[in-house]
Amino acid sequence: MGLALEAVSKSFPGVKALDGVSLDLKAGEIHALMGENGAGKSTLIKIVTGLIRPDSGRVLLDGRAVQFGSPRDALSEGVSAVHQERNLIPRFSVGENILLERLPTRNGLVDYGAVAREARRYLELLDPGIDARAKVLSLSVAQMQIVEIAKALSSEAKILLLDEPTASITEHETAALFKLLRKLRDDGVAIVFVSHKLEEVFAIADRITVLRDGKNVASGAPMEDMTRQTLVSLMIGRPERVAEIAERQVDPSRVVLEARGLSTTRGHKNITFALRHGEILGLYGLVGAGRSELAHAILGDARISGGELLIRGEPARIRDVHDASTRFRMGYVSEDRKQEGLILMHSITRNVAVTIWRRLANVIGLINPRAESRAVAPFIKRLDVRTPSLGQLVGNLSGGNQQKVSIAKWLAAQSEILIIDEPTVGIDIKTKTYLHELIGEIACEGAAILLISSDMAEMITLADRILVMHGFRLVGEVANDHQYETTSRAIIGYIHAVGDVTPAPAG
Amino acid sequence: MTLFRRLLLVEWSGLAVAILLGALALSVIAPNFLTEFNLYVMLRSLSVGLLVAFAQMVTLGVGQMNIAVGALGGLTAIIFGATIELYGFPLLLAIPLALAIGALGGLINGLLTARTGVNAFIITLATASAFTGINFGITGSIPFYKMPASLVAFGDHHLGAMPYLLVAPLIVAFLLGLFFSRAAPGRELLAFGGNPQAAELSGISRERVVVSAHVLSGLLAAAAAVLAVAQLGSAQPTIGADWLLLSFAAPIIGGAALTGGHISVLGTLFAVLLLGLIQNGMVLAKVDPYWVQFVLGALILAAVGLNRWRAVNSGVA
Amino acid sequence: MTDEAMSEMSARRRFGLGGVPAQFGLAIIIAAFWAVFAWRAPGFLSPFNLFSVGRALAVDIVIGFAQMAALATGGMNLSVGSIGVCAVMTGGYLMQTLALPVPVAIFGALGLGAALGWLNGFVIARSGVSAFIITLASANLYSGAMLILTKAVPLNSLPMEVGAFGKMKIAGLVSPLLVIALAVGLVLFVFYRHSVLGRQILAAGANARAAKMSGVPVDRVITISHALSGLLAATAGMMVVAHLGAAMPAVGGEDWLLPSFLGPVLGGTPLSGGAVAVAGTMLGALLVTTIRSGLLVLQIGNYWLQLYLGVILLLAVLVDRYRALYQERRGIPMR
Repeated sequence: MGLALEAVSKSFPGVKALDGVSLDLKAGEIHALMGENGAGKSTLIKIVTGLIRPDSGRVLLDGRAVQFGSPRDALSEGVSAVHQERNLIPRFSVGENILLERLPTRNGLVDYGAVAREARRYLELLDPGIDARAKVLSLSVAQMQIVEIAKALSSEAKILLLDEPTASITEHETAALFKLLRKLRDDGVAIVFVSHKLEEVFAIADRITVLRDGKNVASGAPMEDMTRQTLVSLMIGRPERVAEIAERQVDPSRVVLEARGLSTTRGHKNITFALRHGEILGLYGLVGAGRSELAHAILGDARISGGELLIRGEPARIRDVHDASTRFRMGYVSEDRKQEGLILMHSITRNVAVTIWRRLANVIGLINPRAESRAVAPFIKRLDVRTPSLGQLVGNLSGGNQQKVSIAKWLAAQSEILIIDEPTVGIDIKTKTYLHELIGEIACEGAAILLISSDMAEMITLADRILVMHGFRLVGEVANDHQYETTSRAIIGYIHAVGDVTPAPAG
Repeated sequence: MTLFRRLLLVEWSGLAVAILLGALALSVIAPNFLTEFNLYVMLRSLSVGLLVAFAQMVTLGVGQMNIAVGALGGLTAIIFGATIELYGFPLLLAIPLALAIGALGGLINGLLTARTGVNAFIITLATASAFTGINFGITGSIPFYKMPASLVAFGDHHLGAMPYLLVAPLIVAFLLGLFFSRAAPGRELLAFGGNPQAAELSGISRERVVVSAHVLSGLLAAAAAVLAVAQLGSAQPTIGADWLLLSFAAPIIGGAALTGGHISVLGTLFAVLLLGLIQNGMVLAKVDPYWVQFVLGALILAAVGLNRWRAVNSGVA
Repeated sequence: MTDEAMSEMSARRRFGLGGVPAQFGLAIIIAAFWAVFAWRAPGFLSPFNLFSVGRALAVDIVIGFAQMAALATGGMNLSVGSIGVCAVMTGGYLMQTLALPVPVAIFGALGLGAALGWLNGFVIARSGVSAFIITLASANLYSGAMLILTKAVPLNSLPMEVGAFGKMKIAGLVSPLLVIALAVGLVLFVFYRHSVLGRQILAAGANARAAKMSGVPVDRVITISHALSGLLAATAGMMVVAHLGAAMPAVGGEDWLLPSFLGPVLGGTPLSGGAVAVAGTMLGALLVTTIRSGLLVLQIGNYWLQLYLGVILLLAVLVDRYRALYQERRGIPMR
């Protein structure tokens, strides 16, 4: 069964999200959908899955015009989706979540035996290790994503839409997923694959549709005809520009942050490294390696159970982020900007000034709102945040601008040690390049940066040295020669070395 | 894990233990405790409270609150009394009518909440005021005293220690337990409470879930009101006036999550039982009745603390 | 986003910095009611009635502030009434039984209120359990303790100046209690809008996680907010003592629960925290007191008051919600 969108348009107050967009999805193909954030991808997805209705244009199922009034309609017509955010019921079992739309009943009551049996059929295709009776609450993030994929599969939909399905799962699981997707394709299922990861798209997709600014810039183009350059330039409208990071001389004796044999309550063991003034130290790892958890522990948000942490040569006991920021001039740009990095319902000014309120206050502890805005303005200007006013609520900004605000507050705080966690996830390419250059500038100005990222290209562009983390341990260190081939191979080598321990031969 | 720890992990185990220990202690301290009459009095006092607790438990299940539980109860009680005393309705007609009024009140709450998107807390805060207003406006604060003898008798009769009055709430408890653990509509309610967005994406209708929960809540409140009239022997406009905080206390002590998606029928039942036990014990031991409130507060803290410990230790916090 | 979340977002949008538009509508409604009541019952505008309204309003305003201080952190304070009555009885005890000077007694009562509130905040911050549950428990604990200690005996022989203060009239129609309430409002306004602590509280209320990771001492800030809530509840208690001229254990308790929410909710303070509407809370309390007084003067059944209050609350909330939705649909940017 094929799905087609013809000249679909959708507007929201103040913005035209989709302008005459077409999508031609055939049965038995894996069709990639790509575009920057803000290009209209999520609006398109919501229309296909029945969450919203287009203002104009048609949605056709096998040539037949349909109107989805709700997700239920889309589901009943055979359209199933795995969304970006987790959509699971935490206290229900895995099985119940998978079969939530059509719980098997016996004599009017839910038949839990059948639930488990049915669910297992689909779980086994992806990860037999997940117990169908386990509560979703007890699963890891990766397992939850697997459950969601199993859920989409269980609907035996003829049209399957996957939105960033590999964001949280391991390589091994991704490989299993791709194998499964190819099989489904061969069985005639039409699959829409939405992803930011170019390598994956090139690996799995047959054809590709690209959106930019709410319009098609490519519609159903065959993947063989695509190259990375072409694809990126289609997405951003011009050739990709690699960030230019100025060379810095890092003095190896000026160590600002040092970890000696650190272990944490989260499971880290024997973490040892040194971060120097003006250095960009990369911390690379795959999802689940334990990097953000380490950052949280260093900042005092999680507990250090052993080893030593030295700040500027002195042993430090950091009680919480407040401590880290005020006593040790540390800052943290969170990987989860919406939940942890920003207060969406407050203005830009409030979000940026949060780190400097004490400094702005007069003798009796009062702050003049105008002084607050004046203090914040230079940072907003420097970061080129696009906004009509500083009073604009951060929740209304685009992803890229939000991330800039999230960084701005640490610039305002004049943090000397900055831990930056996944700075460009979900950010458009133009802003990505900009942020990379910004990070280089901050380092030039003397800040010490611990850069956490799972984006290999980003890491190799920015870092001076790269620590490799896997399974909550440091498994290697790579000096960065900024050559993608060699450095990436060295990093991957360290990660695989851990998993590939062959037992010594007998005798 | 030791057996002790494993037992502690079962949700209502703490309550069950507290009840057993309490009953044991009371039977030693107060010789009157285990008499048939005393047990009957204690169990009788639980009847109304059980339904009130369930009425709130249902809304907590979908992650909302029903502040109008008491007000709706009072209004239903009055209308119930009025239909009997002023219009001579037979019980067979008056009782279903009262339940229907409760359901209607719940329907109003549910529709307003679902259609307007305003927080149920505020909606029911407003309707509670409105219902109370109608209640007192109609009656001028004057109760209806002439309730049918059969009703009053029903409120008094018992089989051994088991009061007739408690039978209906126990049946309701059983049905609710079944509904929320084994019936698809019940699971849908809890799914919505657990994660509203996910539930909607799975095709569960938000409006239907919210309205059903509130209608059920109103229905249970009305049932509680009818039982209260039977228990008191008259339809007082003050029925329901003290239900509100108690309606939250029992489900919470019983393990309900305020955010929704997790309730325990058995836990709520035990919580009400424990509260009744404590109250009974205090009377028997001639403890200053003012201690009741204090103990209630301490109980809530203990229950919540235990739940927290449990969540942390079973790795799901 | 679910409708509820969206409506909260809309509510929040108006109050990034203390929104004006919603209060303007409220003020107009209040003015309309006054006009109607004054026209239908000349006694409404009499100095005596204005004085009583003002005195009752003063207490409602401060009770509303007590709840508002808790709502700012995203939690509720169900023990507002309990703390109030504890303060009342403590003040009475200090004044009458211990015969301490009135200012000392008041100080002691306020101190107790702040301490009880602080205890709430401490447990909430440390345990991570919701404010609703903790204050549900503490409401019972505090009331229970008070009843046990006082045996519910009212204290009627307070020093004369207490009752006299309650009866005092400035310019023949304004109660000094109202002046106190307005002064408290002014202080709170400056506090939330201009002070570092005020900003930190709102940040913690809007998104505790983000606030914490931005260096806001969230635990400390929540504890202080609840202490403030307790302090305000105690203040309201003292005002009632002045009004009644006696310390009665029947004051406060569950009676204060509804009024404590009416002011903030009508005034636009979001239940989910992150913003406060000081002026709105005062206007909300004024609306409620206006209607109550008006119905009394017009001799419309006192009983029907509750019905009108409920309907008006509903209407106010609905009008507000649709106004916000309308603005969103039109793409009108909000402050």
